[in-house]
Amino acid sequence: MKAYKFEVRITILLTVLFLLAGNVALIFSIFPVEGYLFGFPIMYIVPILSGWFGIFILTIVASRLGNRIDEEIEKENKHQKTLGKEKNSEEGA
Amino acid sequence: MGEEAWQLSNPLLGIAAIVVTFLLFYVVGYISNRKSTSVTDLYVAGASIGPLTNGLAMAATYMSLATFLGITALILQLQVPFIMLWIQLILSIPLITIIYGTSLRRMGAFSPTHFIRERYGLSASIIAALFMILVSIMYSLGQMIGIALAFETVLGIPYLTGLIAGGLIIVGYITIGGMAGASNNAAIQMVIIALMFIVPLGAIMKAVGGSGWFFPPLLYADMVPAMLEAMPNFFDYQFSPKWYVSLIGLTIGSLGLPHLAMRIYTASSLKSARSAMVWFAFIIGLVFSATYAMGFVGVYATETQGVAISPGDADKLTLILNLVYNPEWVTALVIAGAISAGLSTLSGNLLAIGALLSQDIVTTLKPGLKQKTKMKLGYAAIFAGGIISILLAINPPAFLVVSILWAFGLAGVTNAPLIIVGVWWKEANKFGAIAASVIGGAVYIIVSPFVFPNIVLTGHSVTDGMGLSGAMLAIPLSFILLIIVSYITNRIPQLSAKLTTKEDHALIERIHGWKDIHPKRYNSTAGAAITVIFFAVIAIWAIMPWNM
Repeated sequence: MKAYKFEVRITILLTVLFLLAGNVALIFSIFPVEGYLFGFPIMYIVPILSGWFGIFILTIVASRLGNRIDEEIEKENKHQKTLGKEKNSEEGA
Repeated sequence: MGEEAWQLSNPLLGIAAIVVTFLLFYVVGYISNRKSTSVTDLYVAGASIGPLTNGLAMAATYMSLATFLGITALILQLQVPFIMLWIQLILSIPLITIIYGTSLRRMGAFSPTHFIRERYGLSASIIAALFMILVSIMYSLGQMIGIALAFETVLGIPYLTGLIAGGLIIVGYITIGGMAGASNNAAIQMVIIALMFIVPLGAIMKAVGGSGWFFPPLLYADMVPAMLEAMPNFFDYQFSPKWYVSLIGLTIGSLGLPHLAMRIYTASSLKSARSAMVWFAFIIGLVFSATYAMGFVGVYATETQGVAISPGDADKLTLILNLVYNPEWVTALVIAGAISAGLSTLSGNLLAIGALLSQDIVTTLKPGLKQKTKMKLGYAAIFAGGIISILLAINPPAFLVVSILWAFGLAGVTNAPLIIVGVWWKEANKFGAIAASVIGGAVYIIVSPFVFPNIVLTGHSVTDGMGLSGAMLAIPLSFILLIIVSYITNRIPQLSAKLTTKEDHALIERIHGWKDIHPKRYNSTAGAAITVIFFAVIAIWAIMPWNM
């Protein structure tokens, strides 16, 4: 169940992070801020930067974690298989 | 400058640019298609595409004509809120990949509907496929309108003539090309789209006095003070947080788009699909940011430079800016780029229609069909889908993006919940799926302004037309119905006897990569209950007054 919990938690966490990074405007619509960044109003440029570089960075993280989830599941599959064989040989003996 | 007919004074330039672009696509399509021998090759190119090519192809499929024409028009109309709306659309492929794409690829599914058939059975999959055909047609409609506008600008011909001539050429290309041609082409198209959009944008920026013309997507801050002086409310958010919450409906909608998910199945491995997602995010972020810059410059030009654009010409903003500030041959290249963008998305849409009709409906009903007949049927469906979208585009809505985003919402209501819940919750069953798809879909269609103009949620035409308000009600409804109906029917012996529960559980475990079945995995009642409560709150909020 360890790999399963890892898979579910990571998927929920990444989904939430992706939604937040892609919807910074929603956060600003609730908590407006004043001021400028790089010459643009903060509430304009931050959602754009987050919607590009924020998402890009998250895809790199998601890609690595996705590969790790596969490895963890594979590991647990092998473990179950070994347990099954041991059980069979014990029953046979 | 008054109202005028925007067109190239030398149509030959435009024709030459389009012919050269098409020749390139035909050649690549022909070479790739020689390898396409089976129906699998036609749709998913034998699952052999590398991550960069696939990432570019994903971006090109997503990067529709809306990028060139539609978005800028609505930035002109709605200003910054529309930019904020568009930003979250980048989430499509990343979320598809992490939530269900890799699982469906592991299963060897052709399309999301294929998964729905395996998971929920025949009836649910046919209903989903019918809705998906409607989604793909509405999506194609927006592209067809853009193609007609592009041809209109090149040749100075009436809209209808442009629609029929341009539409037929493109539908012909796609019918001949298949997905292998489309994938390789889409990669080339993406490069062309990026170059033909960003380079001319730099030139326009330079002409209106911007100093950051060498990197237009982000370097236009020096134009901000003049913009604020001419249009002080350009950067205003205008709408309440509720409007911004409703945008998440589009994100969920993009998870249900059949032609996008298909790109994940063309990857050569799961790792490759994930790498393609990274390339996709980088490329799409670049082009999206350039589009916002084009919208900004468009509004800037109308507010400070005296460029007058009539409401009817809003969708042509990008082309008009090029006509005003760049040499004609540049506009010709931009038009070729716009048509490429429409072409790649249309090919994705029409191939999805082909797959839906031949694989998901006809083959399901008549499994004994020969491979050759299936191929022929696929080609016929692709062609028919194209013709229908041409016919619908004869009397187009005011903005081409409206039909595209409405299609997103419909996909989010009728398809996405079935896939997401189906992949992550074993209890989901065919009764829940059918209820969710049919009732959710019907509610979404009823509250859209296209069927009953008086039954709408906000009264704000663009918000209702784009399906934002409808999706905020119907998507939660669909999730709730799927979960509650499944939960109840699983506990009614007469109904649960009709289900293939054991096989469904095995399928879910297998597509997540498990070799055994564990009753506690993907079976959380608490998780389902939280989802129902969360979506119930959203649905109630959606029917409360929007005050727009």
